[in-house]
Amino acid sequence: MSVLVSLSTSSLLILFFTLLIASGISGLLFLHPRVPLRYVRIHIGILALPLLVSLLGLFNTSANENVGPWYLDSLAWLMVFFVLAIGLIIQRFSVRYLMGDRSYRKYFTLFTFTTGIASILWLSGDMRLLVIAWGVTFAGLYVLIKLNSGWKVASEAAKVSGRLFTISWLSLVFAMIWLSQATGYWQLSLALANDSLAQLGAWDRTGINLLIVLAVIIPAAQWPFQRWLMESAVVPTPVSAFMHAGLVNAGGIMLTRFSPLFTGEIASIVLLVIASISVLIGSGISLVQVDYKRQLIGSTMGQMGFMLIQCALGAYIAAIIHLILHGLFKATLFLQAGSAVRRYELSPRVTNRSSQLWIMAGRALALFTGVTYWIMAPLEGYQLISALILVWSLSVAWTQLVAFSQGIIGKIVGLSFLGGAAVVYFMMHSLFYEWLSTTVYQSVQPPISVVIVVVCLLLVGIAVGAWVSRNRSSSAYAVLYLWLVRFGEAKPKSVESHPNYLNNIYLKGGNQ
Amino acid sequence: MSGTSVLTKDNVKKKDTTTNFQESDINVLIDSASRVIAPLWPLSTFAARNPWMGLEKQSFEEVAGWLKDTRGIDIYPSASMILSAKRKGEIDQDFVKMGLERWLDSHSFNVPREKAEQFCHAALKLEALPSNLLSSSELEKLADEFRGLNLDSIDNPSIQPISSRIENQDGEKLVNILDHHVIKWSKLYLDESQAGWTMPKREEGFYRAWQRLIQYDPALSKKQRKSLKDWPQEPHMALEKALSELNIPESEIQNYLEGHLLSLPGWAGMMLWRSQQSSHEHALLTEYLAVRISMELVLVKPNLPLTKQQSEKKVSIPSLIASWFQWGNLSIEEWKQLSSAEQNEYLSFAYSFDDKLRRKIWLEAWEQTHADQLSQKLTTKKRKTDSEKSNLAQLAFCIDVRSEPFRRQLEKEGPFETIGIAGFFGLQIATNELGSNHSHPSLPVILKPKHKIKETADEKEFNSYLERKQAVTSLGTTFKAMKQNTLASLLLPELSGPWLTLQMVGRSFVPRSANRFIRNLRQSWLQKPNTNLSLNHEHNKEMEIPIGFTEEEKVNYAHQALKMMGLIENFAPLVVICGHGSQSINNPYAAALECGACGGAAGGFNARVLATLCNLPEVREKLSFEGIEIPRDTVFVAAEHKTTVDELHWIYVPELSEAAQKAFDRIEAVMPKVSDNANKERLAQLPSFQSKVKNPTFEAHRFAEDWSEIRPEWGLARNAAFIIGQRELTEDFDLEGRAFLHNYDWQQDRSGELLGNIIAGPGTVTQWINLQYYASTVASHYYGSGNKATQTVTSGLGVMQGNASDLLSGLPLQSVMESDSEAYHSPLRLLIVIQAPSEYIEKLLNNNPAFLDKVQNGWVRLASVDTDGVWINW
Repeated sequence: MSVLVSLSTSSLLILFFTLLIASGISGLLFLHPRVPLRYVRIHIGILALPLLVSLLGLFNTSANENVGPWYLDSLAWLMVFFVLAIGLIIQRFSVRYLMGDRSYRKYFTLFTFTTGIASILWLSGDMRLLVIAWGVTFAGLYVLIKLNSGWKVASEAAKVSGRLFTISWLSLVFAMIWLSQATGYWQLSLALANDSLAQLGAWDRTGINLLIVLAVIIPAAQWPFQRWLMESAVVPTPVSAFMHAGLVNAGGIMLTRFSPLFTGEIASIVLLVIASISVLIGSGISLVQVDYKRQLIGSTMGQMGFMLIQCALGAYIAAIIHLILHGLFKATLFLQAGSAVRRYELSPRVTNRSSQLWIMAGRALALFTGVTYWIMAPLEGYQLISALILVWSLSVAWTQLVAFSQGIIGKIVGLSFLGGAAVVYFMMHSLFYEWLSTTVYQSVQPPISVVIVVVCLLLVGIAVGAWVSRNRSSSAYAVLYLWLVRFGEAKPKSVESHPNYLNNIYLKGGNQ
Repeated sequence: MSGTSVLTKDNVKKKDTTTNFQESDINVLIDSASRVIAPLWPLSTFAARNPWMGLEKQSFEEVAGWLKDTRGIDIYPSASMILSAKRKGEIDQDFVKMGLERWLDSHSFNVPREKAEQFCHAALKLEALPSNLLSSSELEKLADEFRGLNLDSIDNPSIQPISSRIENQDGEKLVNILDHHVIKWSKLYLDESQAGWTMPKREEGFYRAWQRLIQYDPALSKKQRKSLKDWPQEPHMALEKALSELNIPESEIQNYLEGHLLSLPGWAGMMLWRSQQSSHEHALLTEYLAVRISMELVLVKPNLPLTKQQSEKKVSIPSLIASWFQWGNLSIEEWKQLSSAEQNEYLSFAYSFDDKLRRKIWLEAWEQTHADQLSQKLTTKKRKTDSEKSNLAQLAFCIDVRSEPFRRQLEKEGPFETIGIAGFFGLQIATNELGSNHSHPSLPVILKPKHKIKETADEKEFNSYLERKQAVTSLGTTFKAMKQNTLASLLLPELSGPWLTLQMVGRSFVPRSANRFIRNLRQSWLQKPNTNLSLNHEHNKEMEIPIGFTEEEKVNYAHQALKMMGLIENFAPLVVICGHGSQSINNPYAAALECGACGGAAGGFNARVLATLCNLPEVREKLSFEGIEIPRDTVFVAAEHKTTVDELHWIYVPELSEAAQKAFDRIEAVMPKVSDNANKERLAQLPSFQSKVKNPTFEAHRFAEDWSEIRPEWGLARNAAFIIGQRELTEDFDLEGRAFLHNYDWQQDRSGELLGNIIAGPGTVTQWINLQYYASTVASHYYGSGNKATQTVTSGLGVMQGNASDLLSGLPLQSVMESDSEAYHSPLRLLIVIQAPSEYIEKLLNNNPAFLDKVQNGWVRLASVDTDGVWINW
């Protein structure tokens, strides 16, 4: 370890970039038809190298420093590690999964470049670099969506995504130009220093913040910009996994980076409202939709809404933890999309008296835990929301795992699952808090009235859910149901009854 | 379609279009129209399905022409596929020439034969006409002279949905928008995956639910919603109303309905299947059509009435002339010198020798080449093996093509006799695994189960097993419950994320060990107790079908199975009944790799039932009255052939006699070598980076346990023949895993009944499998299910492509293609080879009109090998 510690930050950075460039070159090399397909295994090996260095960086960062245009802190290294790890896993998956695909080689090159640039994005200490990396990452994703452009619906999806990505990118460009004009710095840490921020007028602040909000809610597929994610179910599974794990969550990190600027006022209220609506619509979509991938898309929209709520309430570290775990969670769920066909098995649910008692006991326990949790920090807005979520989660999990379980074995197993999950959960959180403790962020509490509005919105969502389960035949439910279906559907142009491109491209040759 | 309508028009009473007809009339029409689609069952029990099962009364060629004209679907192999097969030596050019000669001889034309032959030979190279020739202005001038030429008497143009003739402002065809609506309603209604919020009013049936909800659907405009508000309550009334407002004349209604059914044949097929499953949904197809055509009416209403537009076959005169320049070696001057009557003759010749016909000739040559190669193998004189050789063991395998290589490797390693029989062993049973409420009809989908067999266990053990099992499933249900709760779902990624990540990393970098670890963990936790089978008859009124068999049925099933296997004497000390199963993970098409004869599930259960029956002393006693004497020390055991890894897993091994034990040990001893050799042969065909696999069995396990593996095995791809005869006929040859093998000894079948049963049961199953592979290869976008990577599982029932699509019915691209550009499966129609004298075949065809149709109409090919070893094509 001592050798590692002695590695200076700049040499670590040089090593990292060398290896990152090497993986890029390897990706380009693979495009050449003379390179045999089995080279892909070597390519996967090369990809692992910058990942390992970023791990070193993560354990090796003691202070936050600027090296040239780069800004290094534990958050930066963590995100680099996360993005590259997702990239590596997805490419490893694609080795067999995309075997035989017409664009086999291109997928690897594009994955390598997009993840490489996305990792640079979070190392940028200069706003110009940040904007370029943000744009190139989008461009990479756009090309990935468009890769199968012989298929009408894929190119249609690419069009929608391209348009929205451009808006997001331009919005960030304007925000950065504005910020640098107002403060006189391109370097992020200088521009966000207290002295610089003090120079900003109220109008500047609001304007820049609103632009940043616009820039981040588009990749997070928040209402009313969810279209691109809804249409993008046409991409191959690994691309979906990458999109949902590596790109949609960029907003959370961006807001953390700009937290000194992003201090409670109009922008965060706007963000809170949009994000809360998105949580409701997103989870609504995943409730009503019946396609596996579309359920996941709805859920991503909701989860990203939650991440942005966390940011808006100043709980930045919680947001980072959420976005990383959600990314891994969603990537796994996409990659195992093939397992969604199962012989269904309805286990008989015994709801006898004793399980009713167990359910009530669980609710009481959940309520008690929630209240205790809230009292620990009653003035923090996010604490209230966390407590709320905790109550519901615990009561649902308890009902399923403990109350409905059969026999002593069942109860013991259920309790140990619950306990195990809780222990791991707290360990993960304390680990992340420790890692990110040195990250500079500034959290300002939004006014309590705003928090209450958010809480109410969420509770209304819950109430509607509960009401729906009792009034399934009402016309109000019909209207709500059909609207949620509509939100979750792609537009007719992005739908084709049969994948006719197969007929045109691959199978036909010769004369017609 | 014109053809089926002709067949059924007699059923429909002629009536005036304006009068309303009865519900029964429309039902008759729907019933007739439903022939163009085939019922589609859920993907979890994927069993082969012949997409043209209702059309076998017409010839393959007619159906191909009709599909091409009405839907633009080409069911002949593409030129590139044919040329690639030719390069691989799968097509003998001589057969192409012979096919051409036959065609020329059977058609009259007034073009000099020499010219015609030259033209055809050049055209049969299947090269495209050069585009610069087609676009030349000279050609256009020449073609102008033929404006208005009608080469073909236009046969009944089939009626397309009116919505396919109209575009909206964005240039989108209205039929696409209609499809989008119908997909949405179908998937929401049919959902079996238990969405968090199910479709309101679903209990009232598809049409009713739609009718109640459509007035609120924001996907329609206000005006459209309003027009549907007072739509009839009953589906058939709605359907009639819509049809009459669309001005469809009564005589064309069936055609019109067929057009609509073929727009989304998968969803329509699923509706048809569901309508056959339960009485309360019996009219589901009517409801579907009512929804679909009512919505069509709403979408096209602003454009009504349409100007009559007769869809005419467009004949491209320039390309016909160009083809003479290109292939007929005519120069422009020569062309101009021809009289206009001659020119007409030339054009009509080129028109009739069209692309479809050319590829038909190629396909037939391809099939003949295959038959020729097979006949050479089967008719070579065998070295006379001692037929009375004493076998250590007899192993009965499923007819599945994957059994053949394994049997061959096994026979090489010792005195083992192998037998082919349909893998459900004739048992018409539904199986019920221990602790499961779901019973699976474990027999070909064309049959219905007659008995239910349950796995049972000691009650105490059973209860604690259930508790353990429930503890495992509670994880899944908790996950789902949290996912469907708005607030709890927000915490779910953080709770389950670390565990899922661990799994993802493991499965990505050490796929074999990770999957093994998870599987072992599960198994050692569950500890499934030893089970028995409920073989004895039990029946009460609540049960649809009885549990178990009566004493008589036990004997009959055992007798029937032994007869089918031809195993009525010379029993070896050990008889192994082998079902087969596959092993793959993260594969929505896993069921497609299982046993087709067992309804898309592993066949071990059936094997166990049969082996148990054959060991029962009372069964053996009764069998001996029928002349089947099973020696006392002969023991029946059951096993499962794992096709992904070519291993034999024991499923049921009772106490063995000394001789049986010896045989058992011998099989155990040779098995590693058999597996290695079989895997080596199989892996060479699967796309991989390594040209040589060092440890084939190890690598095969990787294929079976890797979650990213897109082709865990080839399944039944490349299947081409069904050989019904004795093993001696095929024994010495490598049939490349392309043949279904069924044992048959005509000498033991004087009445021909056995042969009839084989053709009706296993014959149909193999034909369906074959045509499913055929259809998925030649028209992957329509009959297959496209690229696996862009599929999404929907409603827990099947897959769609991209954002939404038809419920895709066939095999994915990756099951039949080596890569996007190279086919693996050879689309050949099944060649049934029967080893029997010609009288048997004649009798078979006479007694079995449905089979005769299949043979005559080109849905299967038939050949026989007679007593002298002579090959006869039928």
